[in-house]
Amino acid sequence: MNLNNISVLITGGASGLGAGAAKLFIDKGAKVTIFDRNLELAQTTATELGCAAVQCDVADETSVLAALAEAGKINGTPRILVNCAGIDITGRTATKGGPQPREALTQQIAVNLTGTFNICRLGADAIRELDDLEGEEQGVIVNVASIAGLDGPFGQTAYAATKAAVIGMTLPMARDLSAYGIRVVTIAPGVFNTPLAASVLRGEPDDYAGGVPFPKRAGKPAEFASIAVEICQNPMLNGEVIRLDGALRG
Amino acid sequence: MNVEGQVALITGGASGLGAGAARILSQAGAKCALLDRNLPLATELAEELGGMAVECDVSDGPAVEAAIAQVVEKLGAPRIVLNAAGIDIAVRTASAKGPHPLDEFERVIRVNLTGTFNVARVAAYGMIGLDALDDDGERGVVINIASVVAQDGPVGQAAYAASKAGVQGMTLPMARDLAPYGIRVMTIAPGMFETPLAAGIPQDWIDSIIPTVPFPKRWGNPLEFGALVQQICENTMLNGEMIRIDGAIRMGT
Repeated sequence: MNLNNISVLITGGASGLGAGAAKLFIDKGAKVTIFDRNLELAQTTATELGCAAVQCDVADETSVLAALAEAGKINGTPRILVNCAGIDITGRTATKGGPQPREALTQQIAVNLTGTFNICRLGADAIRELDDLEGEEQGVIVNVASIAGLDGPFGQTAYAATKAAVIGMTLPMARDLSAYGIRVVTIAPGVFNTPLAASVLRGEPDDYAGGVPFPKRAGKPAEFASIAVEICQNPMLNGEVIRLDGALRG
Repeated sequence: MNVEGQVALITGGASGLGAGAARILSQAGAKCALLDRNLPLATELAEELGGMAVECDVSDGPAVEAAIAQVVEKLGAPRIVLNAAGIDIAVRTASAKGPHPLDEFERVIRVNLTGTFNVARVAAYGMIGLDALDDDGERGVVINIASVVAQDGPVGQAAYAASKAGVQGMTLPMARDLAPYGIRVMTIAPGMFETPLAAGIPQDWIDSIIPTVPFPKRWGNPLEFGALVQQICENTMLNGEMIRIDGAIRMGT
């Protein structure tokens, strides 16, 4: 899909991978709306990049419907959905201190999995109703999993479960939406230079990139953005999960 | 890496996926060396793109060394290698006609698997001696072509699937081997693409398979394959991974 003048929705777009993606999509001529729970940060980022910001809790249906309507008013119904919103609560399954709280899993499922699915189903339904783009395709969904969903390190059981689920949704969702000309591709990033990674690692992500075969550093949000844009531009990419990790295996 | 000004060595570059990638990389400013068994066809495209053509059987060790030496002399040392040379046969493991001929199996393995490894090892050795391009220490990128058949192979594809699964399996260890030298290794697994290789597939099978592609319901265009090759060259974080480019097809029987 040619991105010029296309309405693009990026959840978690106020910072990290989402903000990196927003910048490149804007450079390609897209009309970007970033969704974030943190409206203040979203507005700051949006002002800096030159796009729209809407407050949204992806786990909440009412919030998503209202935010999608708002995005539609500003930039037109989004044809590209980039699901970057996510949280990571670390903790071992059980330790001397006791079992991991159930909420570690339920909270992450709500945002990372249900939140992603929520945007996909409501966003895809809106794209389906548009059905007016010239050419063969109507929309693209880019979901963000993690290499933790494939080879998760300790302390990441709950996070890995949610990301493995996003990986698992990719093919059936691509099959579900193929009839409407909507593609679904998932990116599984490794260690990236983002606020989420910094908070989980309690330090600079670059300092934790020693195990990456090459390049021996944390990924840049601009590199995430580059593959996200390629996915949107290349109509043959569909139903696939792409690791973006410098060959790191956890 | 920025592909502009780089030398790209493309095996099987005279036609099909290799030619599609050569067109895209040339457009982006790379100098393309097309290695192919079909020299007249390779020469024709090389002239159009302003690159060079070399006759080469990728499964022949000394031939590949000689071909790469020619490329280094004429265009410079390749930092991009695309292993697009490949052959396909359709024979069942055993049928009423008899068992699958072993020499046919070995021929497919020799070209698709040994040939890919052969070019990768010789070209990567050449890259090791080059200066790093940037602060990351990147020296080059090797891109191999597997196939979706490596993961979900249809009837008659035991040899081809084995060769392509071999290419898939090499991806991570090869990336790990070459990481200390700043050389990345990626594999692309194409689905149904409109190429001369695919022209050998029986028409009734083609007619039954294209409708099973979820989206888009058509042949892939070699230029779409080429676009992914360019992204892999340009995106330093892509390493040790195989990417399916197939419109979400999963091959049935």
